[in-house]
Amino acid sequence: MINDFIHPAVFYLLGGLLIPLLRGKVKQGYMLLLVVAAFLAVVIMPQGTYGVYEFLNWKLTFGNVDKLSKVFAYIFTIMGVIGVIYSLHVQNDGEHLAAFYYVGGSLGVTFAGDFLTLFLFWEIMAFSSVFLVWYRKIPASVASGFRYLLWHVAGGLILLAGIILYYSVSGDLTIRHLPFHGWWPGDIEGMALFLILLGFIFNAGVPPFGAWLPDAYPAATVTGAVFMSAYTTKTAVYALIRVCAGSEILIILGVVMAIYGVVYAVLENDARRLLAYHIISQVGYMVAGVGLGTQMAINGVTAHAFCHILYKSLLFMGISSVLYVTGTAKLTELGGLYKTMPRTMIYTIIGGLSISAFPLFSGFVSKSMTVTAFGEEHLMWAFIALMLASAGTFLHTGLKVPYFIWFGKDRGIKAQEPPRNMEIAMIIGSIFCIGLGIFYQPLYALLPYPVHFAPYTAYHTWETLQILLFTQLGFFLLLKKLWCENTISLDTDWFPRKGAKGLMWFSNKPLANTETNFIGEVYEFIIQKPIMKVAQLMQTIDTVIVDGTVHNLGRFTIAWSRMILLFQSGQIHHYAMFMTAGVVALIVMIVRLF
Amino acid sequence: MKLVNMIETLRTKTVKKIAYGILVLLVMVDFIIPRHEVHFFGDKIPGFWSLFGFSACVVIIIVSKWLGKNGLMKDEDYYD
Repeated sequence: MINDFIHPAVFYLLGGLLIPLLRGKVKQGYMLLLVVAAFLAVVIMPQGTYGVYEFLNWKLTFGNVDKLSKVFAYIFTIMGVIGVIYSLHVQNDGEHLAAFYYVGGSLGVTFAGDFLTLFLFWEIMAFSSVFLVWYRKIPASVASGFRYLLWHVAGGLILLAGIILYYSVSGDLTIRHLPFHGWWPGDIEGMALFLILLGFIFNAGVPPFGAWLPDAYPAATVTGAVFMSAYTTKTAVYALIRVCAGSEILIILGVVMAIYGVVYAVLENDARRLLAYHIISQVGYMVAGVGLGTQMAINGVTAHAFCHILYKSLLFMGISSVLYVTGTAKLTELGGLYKTMPRTMIYTIIGGLSISAFPLFSGFVSKSMTVTAFGEEHLMWAFIALMLASAGTFLHTGLKVPYFIWFGKDRGIKAQEPPRNMEIAMIIGSIFCIGLGIFYQPLYALLPYPVHFAPYTAYHTWETLQILLFTQLGFFLLLKKLWCENTISLDTDWFPRKGAKGLMWFSNKPLANTETNFIGEVYEFIIQKPIMKVAQLMQTIDTVIVDGTVHNLGRFTIAWSRMILLFQSGQIHHYAMFMTAGVVALIVMIVRLF
Repeated sequence: MKLVNMIETLRTKTVKKIAYGILVLLVMVDFIIPRHEVHFFGDKIPGFWSLFGFSACVVIIIVSKWLGKNGLMKDEDYYD
């Protein structure tokens, strides 16, 4: 029945518009009502195609519902509920609206059946989420937001170029499975698929195009970062699964990503930026799994995206709470908080154990499926590299972050647990993280393909425990090396940042100087003066020849008119005399002829 | 506060000794655990993943710190 399909984005995009009109408890209740309604809309939604509209020559499809889009819609709407509860105390309506439009955009992408609709919502996401950075209202976040926007506009335009190119080749805009094979596009269609893939991996945070992520997320508002950690990259993973599954290039990119994020996390001092680098690392598993493209890998990636959103948002909620209470998220400025924020510590550690794929926590049932898919295909280098990244994940998110914030050096910071709504959101997140680790069957049932994978085999559990607990041993033995320094780390945003500075210097100094001193003079000698000469010549030609001709024609006409005037006296007897003379002359001529 | 006291009891030497005991137990049990999913040679060696976990941790820290010291880490005002 078509009536069963209510697009959940409607609650976010249209329902959200009323938020600024309401106040206090009514507003909070209304927001909760919207996000719960959106979740229920996904629950009752039957599979099929809905919301098809003709627009110009195109067919736009807003409601493409299948198992894949539904499982992503589930997690996006669940996360919407958690995120909104976490941000209920926020007074700034703009921030609420930005979050609502951001979530609505991701739901729009999820159900899009054609590339134009996808692109529309893709851009809504970028332009709404940037406000979650700007509303932090510190100079660093304003600058960071602009860089965020530039990266996303660049990625969006590449995606649009790919879409247009694909349309010009195929005449079709329907979203379908269009993997890109090889390393470099060979023909126009290959180029189209390559550009689409490139546009997607900009948003997935794949290096070197992912520098916006660790730049913007730590600069976002306390609650904004929680939303951002969930949606942009996972929407991109969804798009990659749908369109690019089996593109081999993604395997290498994904594995590089997984390690890359871990390396930067070692160096990072800002806890939220450290978590941001671990998003890159975790999305690396997903990107690699999409590249592998087997049914098991796609199931693993989908499950991992689902669990990742829950544990990553939980981690971000924990650290953002610390930021909210203490005003900083820098590990060099924190320490000893277990006395004042022990509950927040426990929620954060639950998130840390989940992301580390500890048995009985959510990451275990999803990450192991993705990694095992590589083992099954005998891609051992990728398998080992992902195992290595797992150790690194536990090292930082499970050990380093909690240790340096809640233990480490007690800096005597005055703190208390965060407001109640923030804590409730963290409790819900924690329940999901542990619940999914134990009762994983309902999640497996939602996955796009039938699942033939049992996470809790004796050997697999033991293998994971060994890796993680011996990583812990390494952590405590090398603890001295891990003390943070008050630094930032260079990433690929060095190029646009230094590049922009270079461009400004080049424009202000050499370019401006050359303009006034050299090009100005050259212009005068090479262009201005010759043009004046030519103009003078043209003027001469104009006065002498063109005007002369016109004048002479005029004079000739006047002289001729004067001659004619002699005959045209206006007196009838003169005309009669000319006519008679003419007739006589005619008769004489005729007589002479015969 | 109860929670804080619980956390503090976890930070004693006894707990540390128990933790080391668990590590030894992990490696010992790995000799007898049934192996159904052998993906490569490492899966056949008892204690392989223990060694892997420990070396992975050490390698990640040392390599990352080396990269950091050799160019990646900059002062916070580097871009200003």
